[in-house]
Amino acid sequence: MRKKSMLLVLSAMLAFVLVLSACSDQSGSNNNQPSPSADSGSASEKPSEAPPANEEPTEITIMLPLNIAETPPDTIKTELEKLTNTKLTYQFFPADTYEEKLNASFATGSLPQVTYLKNQATFIKFKEAIRDGQFWEIGPYLSEFENLGKLKESILNNTKVDGKIYSLYIGRPLARQGLIYRKDWADNLGLSAPQTTEDLFAMAKAFTEDDPDKDGQDNTVGLTDRNDLIYGAFKTLSSAFGTPNNWGEKDGQLLPEFMFPEYIETMDYMKRLRDAGYMNKDFAATSKTDQVNMFQSGEAGLYIGSMQDVNSLYNNLVKNVPTAEVATHNKITKPGGEFGIWAIPGYNNVVLFPKSAIKTEDELKKVLAFFDKMMTPEVANLMYWGIEGTHYTVVDGKAKEMDDKDKIEREVKGFKDSVIGEPETNGQYTGYHELQARIDAEKFIIENEPVAIHDPTAPLDSATYTEKGQELQKIITDATYQYIYGDIDKAGFEKAIEDWKSRGGQKIIDEYTAAYKANQ
Amino acid sequence: MQEARAEVLELIPPKPRRHSELKKRIWKNKLLYLMALPGILFFILFKYVPMYGLVISLQDFKPYQGIRGSEWVGLEHFKRLFTEPDFLMILTNTLVLFGMNLLFFFPIPIILALMLNEVRIAVFKRTVQTLVYIPHFMSWVIIVSISYVMLTMDGGIINELIAYFGGEKINFLLSSEWFRPMYILQVIWREAGWGTIIYLAAIAAIDPGLYEAARIDGAGRFRQIWHITLPAIRSVIIVLLILKIGDVLELGFEHVYLLLNSMNRGVGEIIDTYVYTAGLQQGQFSYSTAIGFFKSFIGLILVMAANWLAKRMGEDGVY
Amino acid sequence: MVQDKTLSSRLFDIVNYALLTIIALIAFIPFVHVVAGSFTTSAEIAAKKFVLIPTVYSLDAYQYIFSTNTIFRAMSVSVVVTLVGTAFSMLVTALLGYALARRDLDGRRVLMFMVVFTMLFNGGLIPTFLVVREVGLIDSYAALVVPIAVNAFNLIILKNFFQNIPEGLEESAKIDGCNDFGILFRIVLPLSLPAIATISLFYAVTYWNTYLNAILYLNDAAKWPIQVLLRQIVILASGLDADASLDSEVPPPDQAVKMAVIVVATIPILAVYPFLQKHFAKGALLGSIKG
Repeated sequence: MRKKSMLLVLSAMLAFVLVLSACSDQSGSNNNQPSPSADSGSASEKPSEAPPANEEPTEITIMLPLNIAETPPDTIKTELEKLTNTKLTYQFFPADTYEEKLNASFATGSLPQVTYLKNQATFIKFKEAIRDGQFWEIGPYLSEFENLGKLKESILNNTKVDGKIYSLYIGRPLARQGLIYRKDWADNLGLSAPQTTEDLFAMAKAFTEDDPDKDGQDNTVGLTDRNDLIYGAFKTLSSAFGTPNNWGEKDGQLLPEFMFPEYIETMDYMKRLRDAGYMNKDFAATSKTDQVNMFQSGEAGLYIGSMQDVNSLYNNLVKNVPTAEVATHNKITKPGGEFGIWAIPGYNNVVLFPKSAIKTEDELKKVLAFFDKMMTPEVANLMYWGIEGTHYTVVDGKAKEMDDKDKIEREVKGFKDSVIGEPETNGQYTGYHELQARIDAEKFIIENEPVAIHDPTAPLDSATYTEKGQELQKIITDATYQYIYGDIDKAGFEKAIEDWKSRGGQKIIDEYTAAYKANQ
Repeated sequence: MQEARAEVLELIPPKPRRHSELKKRIWKNKLLYLMALPGILFFILFKYVPMYGLVISLQDFKPYQGIRGSEWVGLEHFKRLFTEPDFLMILTNTLVLFGMNLLFFFPIPIILALMLNEVRIAVFKRTVQTLVYIPHFMSWVIIVSISYVMLTMDGGIINELIAYFGGEKINFLLSSEWFRPMYILQVIWREAGWGTIIYLAAIAAIDPGLYEAARIDGAGRFRQIWHITLPAIRSVIIVLLILKIGDVLELGFEHVYLLLNSMNRGVGEIIDTYVYTAGLQQGQFSYSTAIGFFKSFIGLILVMAANWLAKRMGEDGVY
Repeated sequence: MVQDKTLSSRLFDIVNYALLTIIALIAFIPFVHVVAGSFTTSAEIAAKKFVLIPTVYSLDAYQYIFSTNTIFRAMSVSVVVTLVGTAFSMLVTALLGYALARRDLDGRRVLMFMVVFTMLFNGGLIPTFLVVREVGLIDSYAALVVPIAVNAFNLIILKNFFQNIPEGLEESAKIDGCNDFGILFRIVLPLSLPAIATISLFYAVTYWNTYLNAILYLNDAAKWPIQVLLRQIVILASGLDADASLDSEVPPPDQAVKMAVIVVATIPILAVYPFLQKHFAKGALLGSIKG
């Protein structure tokens, strides 16, 4: 009896949901009308879209990720509006949940005229929608604008979707990776900057065992690393061993980096370091904060990552160890190897222009005009460095930040990550630094460019990769750590590769190879 | 929608009873229905209306095409889930953590509440109550990072202590053996105190006269707990147990995700963390929804079973 | 109250007090760590790893977070949303909960099942967003309250407490001429103070912790509650957001600042509990009325 009635309730519930879904589907479709279903319009929601009369400021709403603690005040925005004759609405959303916001806005047709994505991975996810025509193709207009036309061809090429340009890019130096180490420790032990991976190993060993801080206690360790195979030490070390960047060509085929013997060599090297105790044992579970803490507390002496980290590392280190000195270094190779360093595709984020918010070509051109002005030195400096005299001064043709770092962080830094292009193209000042290690770092970053190892798949597409590349990558990431930790051996790693191949990896190889050949 | 509701009500013949009689009773309770109305409207509007979103699990949903424009693919996504090579592992991990929650975590707030109830010094009781309640307000990020600092082999306090007493350092953070104990201990640490609140409220409703009488009969402390306190809060315990069973899905995504690494993924990957990685990919809205649906479905079955069992045992159950 | 002084009872007390003290300490130490960290420098936090008693005291972190009005603004949003939201939720929940607790209500089992069903199945972020938008709540504070006004779990618990009130009391009130509203507000609610306190606390904590809804439904950062700020700082300072931490030109927030924000954002909600605690003793009321 009871069972029967429950069954009835259950089916009634289902019926109920269905009836509801019928009526809500309608409301859903009502919503879909203003949504970006191609060219249909949603004028009601965005008063900012009223076509402005001549000379009237263009109204632009901009959505972008927030990478600092709080939304910046209007200081910079007000100046920016004056310089560009615009009326801007900046909508910052926390980076950590930015994708949720992006998806909700996109699916409900409420993306603003200017939509910054979060990073390259988000960009890959949006490619399908881009192909579907949800965003303006801006390639043909770029040449109409003096400054936008200066954007680097090679980097624009990496952001193309099916050979067309839909986005403006936020430029980043190609290769900032390198070594930061305790100069005073090296001097104490009579060590010079490591030239080879073996020198580096010896340095890690000496930093661990030979009491580099001369306090008579066994309280130091060589390398501090974190749970990140890419921006941590691993990938940079893999470059020293000559591993390709993500993908490499072998016998006319594109193959993933982990199918190259150099990758195994790198794993062996890390394994040696860890087994010997010359680096933090728990690195696979260490966050960047904890990693950095080990360096800043004076416990660890080697840090492999972005060389630009040296300022904050040094500033915090001297609070604990006032006599500490640091240096940066690059050009480490395996003995007898040739120097190369992996590079990012030259950008870390892009801006898209949704058709749901920008209705006409005219309007698009007005928005692009704003970005064109953003690429003038005056505007780029404002957004990157702030207001001259308030946030920075110019020393030797370079921007030197004023002492009130909190003010700069609050008022300016929120806008930094939204500046289009890079100093060479938008004319913004490069930074003035006093710390020698940082000056060196900037020099090394420039020196890295010609020897940068590029990812050959950056401008290519693989449907399988987009669908499950990241999920598959997990197999390899896990196997890499497990190999370094000694949980699996070479055969185990080979097995993981086979696993990767059979679950879709082989298709990725084929697709990339085909795209690569077609591209040549 | 109104019609649909009426339909549902009509579909339930509670007992053989004439319609006019039912109508009369409903009319008699009209005020009650009026009271229920705002809440019912809430559930319809914010819970049931959005449920049409579940249909995307049967589609190849593209946000820009909407539900109407997206292609229907039937049970494709469910097939993909069930044929995933790691599916069994993920399901097992989820169920094991769920079982541990039920077995090791669930009784603890009850025990703690009973212990607190035996405290006669009011100040002590309140202080302890407040202190054990604090961890609930520390986010998992903080708890996991504090655990890291204490457990790491690179100078963590616990491992230093072990080493000091001549033991071998234990690799807590990067091992499959320690993942589950670590998980459950952190859950207990964060939620045990918070969990006592409901029980304390239920205990507060007990007639003190009952204890008095028991004491006159010569019942000791344990017998008082067993014969008075526990029976008085039994219905709350059962309701919470049923709800907890329905919560198979809520193992705390953020918590597990933060604990997860390459060395413990084999025991640590659960449905929630898997969805997260799957959802990271392009166009995985439908797949994620399908997985969510699967999870909810298991929850539904378990809740219905638990409720049925409770009713068989003469309890009220949740519905 | 008669105290029994038997040996076993004393032993019980000793063990009980000792255990509770240990448990309380274990629960409290991390919070001490956070408070201590907020009153010292980041250098000390880095060097000591687990600070409990700082050797260097510093108010810099607090000075930093109070130097703009962001935190005050966010706190006032949170306080108002929590107060208004809790009151609103309690009203709607109590009304529905009482109706469902009445055994003579036709269809209550169906309704309860429907409520439980929503704990298991939900339509997801985007459909909910569309409803919230259709109702016109976008960019209004009400978007932080209305879409989560009734929590199924809280409703079930409250209903369960209501159900345990002897029906005789309600019957006698009915004879005295009370209608259903009267019974709820004059008899049932006053007899359920511990439950009301508990569920209010649950709601208050939910509203205080509101995070994602604020970001989804409110485009104006000035309207965001404290949790958005707290979470943003904690995530950045913990180096969890890989993209943000990549850009070393924007170093993560200071560890001490992270601790200070946690303290400031947690204290108000922590203070609620001791305040509500007195209502847990008043449940004895029931006994007195019955007797």
